[in-house]
Amino acid sequence: MANAATHDHDDHARPGFFTRWFMSTNHKDIGILYLFTSAAVGFISVCLTVYMRMELMNPGVQYMCEEGARFLSQAPLGECTPNGHLWNVMITYHGVLMMFFVVIPALFGGFGNYFMPLMIGAPDMAFPRLNNLSFWLYVCGTSLGVASLFAPGGNGQLGSGVGWILVPPLSTGEGGYSMDLAIFAVHVSGASSILGAINMITTFLNMRAPGMTLHKTPLFAWSIFVTAFLILLSLPVLAGAITMLLTDRNFGTTFFDPSGGGDPILYQHLLWFFGHPEVYMIIVPGFGIISHVISTFSKKPIFGYLPMVYAMVAIGVLGFVVWAHHMYTVGMSTTQQSYFMLATMVIAVPTGVKIFSWIATMWGGSISFKTPMLWAMGFLFLFTVGGVTGVVLSQAALDRAYHDTYYVVAHFHYVMSLGAIFCIFAGIYYWFGKMSGRQYPEWAGQVHFYAMFIGANLTFFPQHFLGRNGMPRRYLDYPEQFATWNQLSSIGAFISFASFVFFIGIVFYTLRWGKKVTEPAYWGEHADTLEWTLPNPPPEHTFETLPKQADWDKGGH
Amino acid sequence: MLRPSPKFKRAAYDAALSSSAPVERDDAPIWETTLWPNRSLGRTGFRITMAILAIGFAIPVLPFMWAGGFWILLPFVITAFIALWLAFKMNNRQGRLREHISLWHNLLAIERHEVSGEVKRWQANPYWLRIKLVEEGGPIDNYLTLIGSDREIELGAFLSPEERAALKGELETHINRLDINA
Repeated sequence: MANAATHDHDDHARPGFFTRWFMSTNHKDIGILYLFTSAAVGFISVCLTVYMRMELMNPGVQYMCEEGARFLSQAPLGECTPNGHLWNVMITYHGVLMMFFVVIPALFGGFGNYFMPLMIGAPDMAFPRLNNLSFWLYVCGTSLGVASLFAPGGNGQLGSGVGWILVPPLSTGEGGYSMDLAIFAVHVSGASSILGAINMITTFLNMRAPGMTLHKTPLFAWSIFVTAFLILLSLPVLAGAITMLLTDRNFGTTFFDPSGGGDPILYQHLLWFFGHPEVYMIIVPGFGIISHVISTFSKKPIFGYLPMVYAMVAIGVLGFVVWAHHMYTVGMSTTQQSYFMLATMVIAVPTGVKIFSWIATMWGGSISFKTPMLWAMGFLFLFTVGGVTGVVLSQAALDRAYHDTYYVVAHFHYVMSLGAIFCIFAGIYYWFGKMSGRQYPEWAGQVHFYAMFIGANLTFFPQHFLGRNGMPRRYLDYPEQFATWNQLSSIGAFISFASFVFFIGIVFYTLRWGKKVTEPAYWGEHADTLEWTLPNPPPEHTFETLPKQADWDKGGH
Repeated sequence: MLRPSPKFKRAAYDAALSSSAPVERDDAPIWETTLWPNRSLGRTGFRITMAILAIGFAIPVLPFMWAGGFWILLPFVITAFIALWLAFKMNNRQGRLREHISLWHNLLAIERHEVSGEVKRWQANPYWLRIKLVEEGGPIDNYLTLIGSDREIELGAFLSPEERAALKGELETHINRLDINA
């Protein structure tokens, strides 16, 4: 056996701040780091949207001027030349940051790291030091992304305005080195996600507690596993695609340049082969959280555990064979379009299984509308709305009319901005006491929910109407006919932003002055996964007893 | 699984003690147990996982066979495949570790079978043994060590912290039950 580490053993003090947070190999600490970092990046990204909604509030251009970006006051009439590049930069970085650096790190990196090993009774992640590397690569990628925003880019201005999918020839023709930084940012965050995914897959498959078979593993752990597989399968393809972009930009290759025999559509295929699974990576961990929240607050075990698991697997599998529904208009044959259309509609089946199983879980349950449950209910409604418009958009013929209109913006914000973000908030309120040992004031959580729910719906619901009226996406300005709904939408965005600022207040208030919670399973006995047998917060690690099968196997499913 | 924090240095293993002969006694131990890192995926499971990954990678790669970009796509995909393969191999390899504890009324013997095949042995008189559990601030949480025979050894460093706490309890129970006059 190894000799014991020779150190002064009377030193029972916690590791110092630097050791704990910068060199951490503890999956819980790394989870917390992910949550806080993604929240900070989220704040930046949200600020960009608020600026965009300020500009879109009224027809004409009032803030994004060539003469200089204005923030607090509108430009006097006739003194503002529209600055399209600034607008394009805003939409690009909002997309890049949200897709790569906010939602996945929060759900997969944050909650996944913290709770997946706990739920399966693993001592830690399979490779704790690799876990630390993943986190710091993510920080590095984020920094590159933000640096790209301020680096010299196209049109002699700062930043790149090519859209988050970095599509050529826009991206290959963008000036400056901002675009290259953005590509590196995606590369580094991709490496981080792949390492994280390998770690999660190994942990989930190889380190489950004895007796916990795959069909007994909690749904959240399953959702993280499915997500990890999606990441591992699709991110190498994205890495290949953006590497080609990089060589096209810098080394004179012509992978995407028709003048050299290349094909810009090739990039779209590769990008969306990653991009469609990406939206499932964003939402599937949310499915896991929602399942636990709904079961806990309906005081019933989850309805149809196995169908729930296989629905997630099916959504993951189908996610890989539908990518071209993002590109109906690039000139595919009718047969190809019919296939992608049918395959896309099939996804409604496993998704329906999940939605109906959640409703069936609530059916006949004794429901308490605590904050996490409110977010879960909000998610159910919003995700269903987004899902329905998704089925509409899956129709290749209808998509001709809706392509690149605000209808699409409304659709994907309903499933992602509202669906996934509501899952994140449900998770935060559900586990806040577990992670911090302190509980938020219930009224504050509810105020946050109602403000966000009203604000978010007010923002995005009118965008359906705008899209149906033909307002195109990605433009700085619009004709006066679209003014009413845009005005409402902007007001909704400001309400949502106010609720987000309020939420930040709740977090800091709770961490400092929140009421201490000592009851391990403070949501009652139907919160029955292993993390609820631990004290709040789990003090570094200290189970008093070995996790026995009876702790996690309540014979519920 | 061993994961020393960078703050701590593991003392070099004392070669003289590692070659100590195995305990040979005629009487059966009063209590014995074997510790090993838990691994839940079998061989078949591993093969299925890698097969699914291979099929998944074939979808984007095969259509571009020999087309532009194929040679850039391929290395990334192969790297990811090999990386997961190696991750499982490393994780399983670390899982071959065993620690065997045997307790007699006047002897506590521990054999550690390393991943490399090396066997390390340690023994002490249970009456002079000290069992120590450092809950926080050790190389790992609930760091369990035994002090005896002038040497401190760690036990079950690959277990989960809660398992180490339980192991300590079990060890203490059995040692407290020893009959001093036997």
